Amino acid sequence: MLSRIAQELFWLGRNVARAEHTARMLDGVFQASLQGRPDDPSGVRLGWGSILAIMGAHGDGRPVRRDEVLTRLTLARDEPASVISCVSRAREGARTMRDVISAEMWEAVNTTHLALSAGDLEGRMQMGPYSVFQYVKERSALFWGLTSRTMLRDEARAFLVAGGRIESADMVLRMLRVAMPAPGERESDPAHPDGVRDGQALALLQAVGGFQAFRRAVPAPPNAGPVVRFLLYERAYPDSVAASVDAVHGALVDADAAPRSSEPVLRLSRLAADLEFRGRAAAVDGNLAQASTLVQSELALIDADIAERYFAGAGAAAGTVVA
Amino acid sequence: MNYDIHYLTSYRYDAPVADNLNALRVRPATTSSQRCDEFHVRLDPEARIHRHVDYFGTEVLEFGVARLHDHLTIDVRARVVTSEPPEAPEAPWEHLDGDTYAEAAGEFLLPGEAEPGDAALADLLDIARARTPLATLRWLNELIPDRFAYRPGVTYVGSTIDDLLAAGAGVCQDFVHLALVLLRRHGIAARYVSGYLFSADDDDGTDSVEVQTHAWLEALLPGTGGRGEPIWVGADPTNRRLAGETHVKIGHGRTYADVPPIKGVFRGSAGAELEASVRMTRLDPTASARA
Amino acid sequence: MSTLSHLVTDDAAAYRPHPGCYDEVFGPDGAPRAHAVALAAEIARLGPQLLTAAGHRRDAIFVQQGITFDATGEDGPVKDRPFPLDLVPRILPAAEWDHIERGLMQRIRALNRFIDDVYHEREIVRAGIVPWRLVVSRSHFARAAHGVRPPGGVYCHVAGCDLVRDADGSWKVLEDNVRTPSGISYVLENRVAMTRLVPQFFQHHRVRPVDHYPQLLLAGLRSVAPSAEDEATVVVWTPGPMNSAYFEHAFLARQMGVELVEASDLVVRDDVLYMRTTAGLRRVHAVYRRLDDDFVDPLEFRADSLLGVPGLVRAYRAGTVAIANALGTGVADDKAVYHYVPEMIRFYLGEEPVLDNVPTYIMADERQREAALARRGELVFKPTGESGGKGVFIGPTTPAEALDGLADVIRAQPEKWIAQEVVNLSTVPTAMPDGSLAPRHVDLRPFAVFGEQIRIVPGGLTRVALREGSMIVNSSQGGGSKDTWVLEEDAGAGAATHHTQLHDVVPTTMPGLRYGGDWQDQQQQQQQQQRHEGSGPC
Repeated sequence: MLSRIAQELFWLGRNVARAEHTARMLDGVFQASLQGRPDDPSGVRLGWGSILAIMGAHGDGRPVRRDEVLTRLTLARDEPASVISCVSRAREGARTMRDVISAEMWEAVNTTHLALSAGDLEGRMQMGPYSVFQYVKERSALFWGLTSRTMLRDEARAFLVAGGRIESADMVLRMLRVAMPAPGERESDPAHPDGVRDGQALALLQAVGGFQAFRRAVPAPPNAGPVVRFLLYERAYPDSVAASVDAVHGALVDADAAPRSSEPVLRLSRLAADLEFRGRAAAVDGNLAQASTLVQSELALIDADIAERYFAGAGAAAGTVVA
Repeated sequence: MNYDIHYLTSYRYDAPVADNLNALRVRPATTSSQRCDEFHVRLDPEARIHRHVDYFGTEVLEFGVARLHDHLTIDVRARVVTSEPPEAPEAPWEHLDGDTYAEAAGEFLLPGEAEPGDAALADLLDIARARTPLATLRWLNELIPDRFAYRPGVTYVGSTIDDLLAAGAGVCQDFVHLALVLLRRHGIAARYVSGYLFSADDDDGTDSVEVQTHAWLEALLPGTGGRGEPIWVGADPTNRRLAGETHVKIGHGRTYADVPPIKGVFRGSAGAELEASVRMTRLDPTASARA
Repeated sequence: MSTLSHLVTDDAAAYRPHPGCYDEVFGPDGAPRAHAVALAAEIARLGPQLLTAAGHRRDAIFVQQGITFDATGEDGPVKDRPFPLDLVPRILPAAEWDHIERGLMQRIRALNRFIDDVYHEREIVRAGIVPWRLVVSRSHFARAAHGVRPPGGVYCHVAGCDLVRDADGSWKVLEDNVRTPSGISYVLENRVAMTRLVPQFFQHHRVRPVDHYPQLLLAGLRSVAPSAEDEATVVVWTPGPMNSAYFEHAFLARQMGVELVEASDLVVRDDVLYMRTTAGLRRVHAVYRRLDDDFVDPLEFRADSLLGVPGLVRAYRAGTVAIANALGTGVADDKAVYHYVPEMIRFYLGEEPVLDNVPTYIMADERQREAALARRGELVFKPTGESGGKGVFIGPTTPAEALDGLADVIRAQPEKWIAQEVVNLSTVPTAMPDGSLAPRHVDLRPFAVFGEQIRIVPGGLTRVALREGSMIVNSSQGGGSKDTWVLEEDAGAGAATHHTQLHDVVPTTMPGLRYGGDWQDQQQQQQQQQRHEGSGPC
């Protein structure tokens, strides 16, 4: 298929996934911020400015308040990382591909965009941002549901799914940053559980929708360590980093004519094996921050490989004229 | 008296059943007037048997047959030695008051769960009180079989005293339940006893007889004299007499439900057919018969 | 200074606390108490219309999520009503909660010792403090459990003691629930709903979280299970979907990540409890059971119980399975036994009770009985073996003929009744259908888990009598609930929203976000180059 269309599909998937995960993350952090945590004074809490930075939004260095961050990351049109910007980009992309995606999928994206642009959203955010986040989550679930029901399982779909899943993996890794100590910082001591981080980990787990799954899979209580491990390594949970990596791998194997000589596919295989190894072999908490940094860097490289292999018009050298 | 008891129970299920869990209260107790010398249980299908002593001091045998089976046979054999219980004390009603009696009586003085109101029992209550507690006990032994016919098939194991009153007939279990209520209402502690009764007469020379498990009661009669400890005296209203060496006790409780000989639950929707027989054989030469 | 209370009602009439009761938000002069100033201001700011609107959203959410219960309406039973949560929270300052927590821990320890004592040495009976006749006549005295000691000597793994606040503001225990206390699921769901519907109320408060209850319960169950802790298989045992508390059974099973089982899923073989799974029989080590002793095992208790598991008591006796709450705890759940709890605290713990009982009279005692019946228009009469407010007669609001009939019933079976002085329950402002606030009576049921230690979830279920003047708070009889907030410290109004030691960290190792493919950009570049070079065919 056309590289351009493949790339558009890839980014459609990424933008929908980004909008959803941003909404979920904001919901989780918001919930955690409402109630106090027992060990608060001794723990370190991530400021809202850091959350902006982690989400790739840009502050201007001055301290920010919670409500500002929430509104900025949800509704600010001039902020490319905001939910509304992601949805707009998704819609623009979908518009150029109306012949490739199904009518129902287009409608789902379009309606979401229209609803978020409607204007009364500011008020709704003030009353309680939950309803806005809930809406975004539902619409995104609708989109993926329609994808799996109405879209032909061909190369086009593979790129759509690959985009969505690689974005999921990246977003989950960003979210986990909030709950993990920074690289170089001391790991939490199991004898003195960190109430703040534990609270944020639990809130994020619930925001991602993984609480029930976690409970069924892991006998340990949902403190930061087990939650992070679960979201990184648990293949049986569909939104874990490991599962997402598997899914991207599977999608590209379907899409690629020669997967065995595909750089991104090979890198993905290696990353999947590495995740498998870390998941089994790592001791209690290991050094999760370090592990997730490595994984995230690897994903960035994979992303670049994908762009190069599939979207750069393989075979067309620079400078070729098409008159 | 020396007795050999053979209690054979046989269930036949019209379709295979599983997880057949049972509790047996069949072993003769060891008391001041009775001793159980030998005791065996055989099960078919085989199963491991657990013993434990329940709240009332009765030995319970528990077992379960997990795999599918279509019959269950419980074969119990026991050898027991009984002696005549001591003379029942004749003490006045006043001896029922006071802490010694109350403490010995414990929960056997408490009203039961589903008892008829005073109205239903009014005339019986009036008549039942005699000169002394012991006299009342003897009197009840006559009163109840006079008023109620012994007739199997009218009531069943779950029947209440109201059922007995309405039907005017019942079996040993019903007679005992009624006697317990009447005794308690007069302030005499009483408990239900399950056991075996050698019901043959001495004179016709039979040594072996087919019986069923039997129900009688024990009433706590106050002692005579200053420090007379109350003692439990057995009475058998079905047979119009106090319990003696022909009564072999298994255990006691508040009602039948506390000492059922066999209680069981199985998994499956099959119907069950039950055959049970108890054969008691007197092992002494009939010397005691010859007066 | 009643400007704030003026704002919360639509008309000019200010919020009026009932005379003779303690209102927890507004003092007798109409001014909000110190710990409630910020909340009162937020509610005023929200206004009655938006408060009502939030209430509608709440109902919609609860119905959608199935957070419902069954009640008895005027025309008979009503199924699946949204659980009534009033959006005005009830605040307990930290110092008050400390007091309550200490009192409850003491009480639960004493009750636990009592249960153990009653089924073993009976020391408290021999000391002449509690009559044996009382103990053995309780309908929940379980002879089958006699002589059995569960792991750690813990019987009441889950306890929910109901507390009330008297007119002088002092906390008293109204009754102890150690059989199968329920309501914790509503506590958890209420908190979640509040953070979603009215997050602005949380602004100036540091509210202690409650969502760790399922973890506490699971850890407690694992700690008593006869196996290595992380290998213990725990289940929640429910009578089934027809049970009125089924929502909670399913909720807790889900939150703990354990199976929700019914009797047909369980089987006992060789005195070991198993559940039937697709992979065959799997051993169960600990059961959190939500049915009464009577139904638990047809071989030992009610023979007609189809909800039970034959042989379970055998397994329990053999120590192969832990049952929470242990068999026989109902003996301490009884309202007549409640009368003796202060003595139990002195006898077993050698301490003075931190929390008082409501003055109670035992009808089985002739002197107390006659004295109580002589004042029957002034007292509350309760059957000893019931729960959920069933069978309760409130003297001051019951017609005289009914009370006369009651006196006859009590005299006929005095062992089954107690009488208590009426407590003027405290009130908390509650939202009316038009969004205004009015005082309504409340009680409090905190939830405690006793595993290796006793842990109590901050707050608990506040139940509200929704009808004006009524003191019946049970949800099955028209009561509602409130989210209960225990504050982290006695902060004054306006505690900071930012917390100490905020730490701004920008992880430099994180890759930047990209926003789109550069396809267009690349194509653009090539064209530009072409034009720039200017060469090409014309």
